[in-house]
Amino acid sequence: MKKTIYSVFLASALVFSSCEKDYLETAPTNAVTAGDVLSSTKNAMAALNGIHRLLYSQFNSSQNQGGEGSMKIMMDALGEDWVQTLGTSWWASEHNWTSHRNATSTSSYNHAWYYFYYRIIANANVLINGLDAATGPAAEKQMVIGEALIYRAWCHFQLVQAFGERYDAGKTNDQLGVPLMLTATTEGQPRATVEKVYEQINKDLDDGITMLTGLEARPAKSHFNAAVAKGIKARVALAMQNWSVAATAAQEAIQQSGATLMSRTQYTSGFNSIDNPEWIWGSMMQADQTNYFYSFFAYMSANYSSTAIRQNPKKINSVLYDQVPATDIRKELWDPTGASIPAPPNGVKVKYGQKKFLVANTSLSIGDVPHMRLAELYLILAEAEARQGMSAAAATHLATLLSARNPSYVESTSTGQDLVDEILIQRRVELWGEGFRFLDLKRTNSPLDRTGANHIPQWAWALTGGNFTVAAGAKEWQFLFPQAEINVNKAIVQNPL
Amino acid sequence: MKKALLLSFVLMLALITQAWAQNKTVTGRVTDLTTGEAMPGVTVRLQGTTTAAPTDASGNYSISVPASEGKLVFSFIGYINKEVAIGNQSTLNVALASDTQNLNEVVVVAYGTADPATFTGSVAQIGAEKLSQRPVTNVTSAIAGQAAGVQVSGGSGQPGAGPDIRIRGFSSVNYANDPLYVVDGVPYTAGLSNLNTEDIASISILKDAASTALYGSRATNGVVMITTKRGKKNQVQVNVRALQGVSSRAVPEYDRVNAQEYYPLMWEAYRNSLVNATTTREQASQRATNDIKGLLGYNPFNVPDNQIVRTDGTLNPEAQLLWGDDLDWEKALTRDGSRSDYTVSFNGGTEKSDYYVSLGYLKEKGYLIKSDFERFSGRMNVNTNLTNWFKAGVNVNYTLTNSNQASTGSATGFVNPFFFSRGIGPIYPVYQHDPATGAYVLDANGERIYDLGGSSPTMTRPVYPGRHIVAETEFNNNLYRRNVLGGRTYGEITFLKDFKFTGNFAVDITNYEEQTYENTIVGDGAPAGRAGRTLYNLTSYTANQLLNYNKTLAGVHTVDFLLGHENYNRSFDNLDGSKSGEIIADNTELQNFGTTNSFNTYHQDHRIESYFGRANYTFNDKYTVSGSYRRDGSSRFYKDVRWGSFWSVGASWRLDKETFFTMPTWVDMVKLRSSYGQVGNENIGDYYAWQALYTLGRNNGPEAGFSQESLGNQGLIWEKNNSYDAGVEFALFRNRLSGSVEYFNRESEDLLFEVQLPLSSGVASRIENIGSMYNRGLEIRLAGDIIKTSAFTWNLDVNWTTYKNEITKLPYDELVSGTKKLKKGRSLQDFWLREYYGVDPDNGDALYRAITYNESNSKIIGSDTVTSNANNARYHYAGSAIPKFSGGVTNTFTYKGFTLSALLTYSVGGQFYDSQYATLMNHGTYGGAMHEDMLNRWQNPGDITNVPRLQVGNTANLAAASDRWLTDASYLNFRSVSLGYNLPAALSTRLKLRNVNIFATGENLALITKRKGMNVAQTFSGTTSAVYVPARVLSLGMNLSL
Repeated sequence: MKKTIYSVFLASALVFSSCEKDYLETAPTNAVTAGDVLSSTKNAMAALNGIHRLLYSQFNSSQNQGGEGSMKIMMDALGEDWVQTLGTSWWASEHNWTSHRNATSTSSYNHAWYYFYYRIIANANVLINGLDAATGPAAEKQMVIGEALIYRAWCHFQLVQAFGERYDAGKTNDQLGVPLMLTATTEGQPRATVEKVYEQINKDLDDGITMLTGLEARPAKSHFNAAVAKGIKARVALAMQNWSVAATAAQEAIQQSGATLMSRTQYTSGFNSIDNPEWIWGSMMQADQTNYFYSFFAYMSANYSSTAIRQNPKKINSVLYDQVPATDIRKELWDPTGASIPAPPNGVKVKYGQKKFLVANTSLSIGDVPHMRLAELYLILAEAEARQGMSAAAATHLATLLSARNPSYVESTSTGQDLVDEILIQRRVELWGEGFRFLDLKRTNSPLDRTGANHIPQWAWALTGGNFTVAAGAKEWQFLFPQAEINVNKAIVQNPL
Repeated sequence: MKKALLLSFVLMLALITQAWAQNKTVTGRVTDLTTGEAMPGVTVRLQGTTTAAPTDASGNYSISVPASEGKLVFSFIGYINKEVAIGNQSTLNVALASDTQNLNEVVVVAYGTADPATFTGSVAQIGAEKLSQRPVTNVTSAIAGQAAGVQVSGGSGQPGAGPDIRIRGFSSVNYANDPLYVVDGVPYTAGLSNLNTEDIASISILKDAASTALYGSRATNGVVMITTKRGKKNQVQVNVRALQGVSSRAVPEYDRVNAQEYYPLMWEAYRNSLVNATTTREQASQRATNDIKGLLGYNPFNVPDNQIVRTDGTLNPEAQLLWGDDLDWEKALTRDGSRSDYTVSFNGGTEKSDYYVSLGYLKEKGYLIKSDFERFSGRMNVNTNLTNWFKAGVNVNYTLTNSNQASTGSATGFVNPFFFSRGIGPIYPVYQHDPATGAYVLDANGERIYDLGGSSPTMTRPVYPGRHIVAETEFNNNLYRRNVLGGRTYGEITFLKDFKFTGNFAVDITNYEEQTYENTIVGDGAPAGRAGRTLYNLTSYTANQLLNYNKTLAGVHTVDFLLGHENYNRSFDNLDGSKSGEIIADNTELQNFGTTNSFNTYHQDHRIESYFGRANYTFNDKYTVSGSYRRDGSSRFYKDVRWGSFWSVGASWRLDKETFFTMPTWVDMVKLRSSYGQVGNENIGDYYAWQALYTLGRNNGPEAGFSQESLGNQGLIWEKNNSYDAGVEFALFRNRLSGSVEYFNRESEDLLFEVQLPLSSGVASRIENIGSMYNRGLEIRLAGDIIKTSAFTWNLDVNWTTYKNEITKLPYDELVSGTKKLKKGRSLQDFWLREYYGVDPDNGDALYRAITYNESNSKIIGSDTVTSNANNARYHYAGSAIPKFSGGVTNTFTYKGFTLSALLTYSVGGQFYDSQYATLMNHGTYGGAMHEDMLNRWQNPGDITNVPRLQVGNTANLAAASDRWLTDASYLNFRSVSLGYNLPAALSTRLKLRNVNIFATGENLALITKRKGMNVAQTFSGTTSAVYVPARVLSLGMNLSL
């Protein structure tokens, strides 16, 4: 009897203590499973917002990979208008043109550029291809897919400009571009030709514009709408030297954007607020979404207390600065004496130091980052018209912009290349620090020339010590493909080393 | 005393009386086996009778016994009873061993204990006596050097921190190599610094599959089993242990140049950078003399800025330091550390119950300012036999810790005291000075003011501008408070004679609160100020049910079965937030900050369910075979693959008990054993790695957002380890010498790697089970009494280990990772570096073996093609971080009541990449500190030296990462030395105390390495960084029992 009792007791102890079937099923609370993302348009919208957020999120645990803001700094660091005080820290090797030519490093900027844009594409592809079964309003689905298409176009555009040889309208562009990623796959894809990449970019833009047209107003300026999409289309057309499309797209974008040019007061208020009437597209950062020392403003503002700003405030090329008329409000974005720079405590104040970018609150490194301003669209429009020989229209459109900056501005009477050159100078001044310079040099097939300005020689060399120029069309204008990609994607052909 | 005399007299009478009855008298002396001291009050009893006699104050006894009959039993509380056959002897001297040594009679193994005489696995046990005199806060510190096959890192001086442990090499490339820590039978999640070492009865280190396989998927890296004390039956004892000590830095700083040496060196580095086709050396020298102060920012001398260094490169002989007393940043950061450690414990019991209760208090003040550790710990362990078939017990402990932590989290953070103070040049003062007079600048209260590096227009510090380690350490907060409650309880039913059923339940709860504050004056928090909190609750439960069967049949067949089931459940809740914008000063509560920077929570679950069994069979104490099996299901893996089986088989053979041949008489014991088995490593970092996930918290402004994080891998499983072990254990010369020799071969497979995906896929990697590696080695332990007389003993305990590590399969051909390159056929710890060739005597270039001959940078010396361009330098395998052999040596000398014990750990061979030295040998940073070896740099054509030319702007070539920075990693560490004295029993008895032991002890007394400053044992990978250098602790202590 006793035996039986014990045995029953024992058996039940062993049986009852083993757990229910789902005991070993656990799921994270700070993540969503991939399946849930596509179940509803509401979730899909959150996934779309996740992409918007990637534009100001840290990548690769690196202090100089803070999303699109960092990409902008990279584009200016490669140019000649962005001048450093010190060249020993962040952005030094980028400025020296070695970072984007270092295939092996996983912290160099070719790697950063490549992974950043493809990561956005991967997120966009999930939404473009996977929302068939999602529940929710059709308009919401259309907005998500439309914006995702614009993202895919814009990212491929950013990638092909960096890794491919420039698009040359005068020839067949069968040079290799970048892999076209149109579905979510881990299978490595070969490089498509530059022509093919641009074809897909335009297709995605057109499809996206169609989907976004007629929708209700976007929730915020971080989202795309048809006007922004057309602005991007204008950029793409400019890079393709397709002047008529560039002009048309820019014109439509200007009209549909609802934006107005900044007042002179607004112009010197720090380029940190998405509420600025001139901003068409930008990233908006809340205090609780701060990106600390990898923020755009942790490097590019004049008044945030980071080591980079205290030690290495950014300056403008003195040659360019000297071309800005005294009555132009833009003259006030830089100080040739340095005295008026609102430097942080213990920070140096340097000649030609910038005060275009300011943090609104010096306790936070954040600021909204502009991705597209009305001024750029006027510059695209004017350049596209000037290059088509429509000098009068071009001069008028340029004047619309410049009169807002400089009350004494007199409309240009130049024509032809002179007018184009004038517009390009204005582009450099107007868009200083906003991430255009390298791409402008490359699309216009211009050389890099850092001579004759206030660059400090030991920090400003390109490619090799003591060298301050890079010839137009040199192989170094192409980023090298990251070795990490080549290792696993055997279809990739490396650019000339 | 009178009483004793009287008693003796009575006894004498009794003896005389008895002598008439054909009895004889046996006399002798009883001593303590360890100390050799006489033992008064020992009961000497004739076995099975009431005839007994006590020993007197000198330990002598005399007892009358029947002629040539019986055995004498010697007993004393706290000592092991000893039985001696009388035979025809009339004098019997006996030494009693104290009970602590009793521990070695059984070893603690998975889910029970084992008899070391027949055990088939490899286990090393460390008893309480090895801990009682060690001033260690974290028990892992006490493991170093004590066991063969166990490598222990140098540890950290951060109060409360302990070193890392590797058992028999490395089993994982990318994931955990730490052993599983099991405290009182249950995997411990609370952190070992929560344990009071005085509460620990023993530590068992399980090394092979036969001993670890019952921990299944958590066993690949070995298991460290810690067992806490319990009371002894039929006695009451109160112990007081007190230690009071001072602490200081154990590894000194590197030898760095002083201000007078520094200025000319930087002058030269700058001058050399100016010489080119258009600038002669003379012109450059003049310019360097004029400019050097501008570049270094500070002129600490009483001579004009352009006259500090003369144009011949020497310091102006007139130059006197203006603030020579204020250049030592290390001194400004350090203080006299201290350590107080007190424990009171009660232990005892009745026939049916036993208890152990303790209360401990520890206060450690680090030698670095603003670093300390305060711990209150309490433990209660009660066991009772309620009936003859039911036994139960509870073991509860509570720990409260308060600690200020030094900011050494980032090795290159400006707030890292070691990084900053090591790297700052020797000309920059801690406090502000008048540039002209050198006098301290004082504030309104007459206090000195921290020099943040830009105090005057003529003084700007180019290195760490606007930062100040002393000020930041002082003004910032980085502290935590931790509560740990742990409980173990069990009920045990004995039934059907040989069966035993045990139900165990255990819980460990950790509540942790971390507070950080960054000030408004200087550093990352300035000017706004930042404060943060992290709170977490970590609760882990383990419940198991064990069924044991143990029987000896016909006196020769011993069988032992175990069947069990176990649940493990770890749950973790985290909340963290940070705010910025301090409103009023000196208040670090979050509501005193205006802006919320982050505020997040998450929860994690980790569960394992297991079934297991073990069987042992021993024949005639001679042959033993054993087997164990465990089946684990882990929540870390996808449901179709989450269950895995782990097992082991083992056998042992006691040669000395063999009958068909006879061992020489000097052989007391020889055991051969061998085991093989497979264990796993499910600790792959992430709890949800198999799932395809989107990260929450990527909100875009006010809109909710998430983005793709991982693709998941449903096929993911644990890493496996196939472990073979063979050994011989022996005891010789009447147990004077004992030891073991063991061979092991641990083969890891299904190693997890982050397999790279095309970056263009948008997800850089996915983890997959690809990869194999082995560790093969030999370990030897020898322990014995070299000298053993009644008064003096010299005991030597030596262990020695060597092993080889080799990767046999990788998901890629090779992978360069830092200073190493992983490749099939190479070790995990093989350095892959540029091959440094030496200094070109013609121009001072650093020369490396070249990849190719390149006219602009190469030359041919003899048959070697060398280059001065680091990009053309050839990489090669430059040695391994794994030592040729390593181990520990303990010498224990006892003389009367004195015991001197010294533990040395040693490591011979292997390479160390001294990156800290490399940084000090870099001359590219104006204001950066330099090593004294810089004084040997190349200066003029023809100079023969191993230190290249100094030249700012060319350090990429002149000081490139290369095998130049590899140094022989051999070391000898005086890890622990203690001198103790046991008060003679006569004296302690008079003090009404049972035992009094006073001792002086030192931890980390000296580390002998190839280079001063080298923290050589910091990691197992032969690399170093700016960490909290280990502390040297000197203590006086006392163990009292009454």
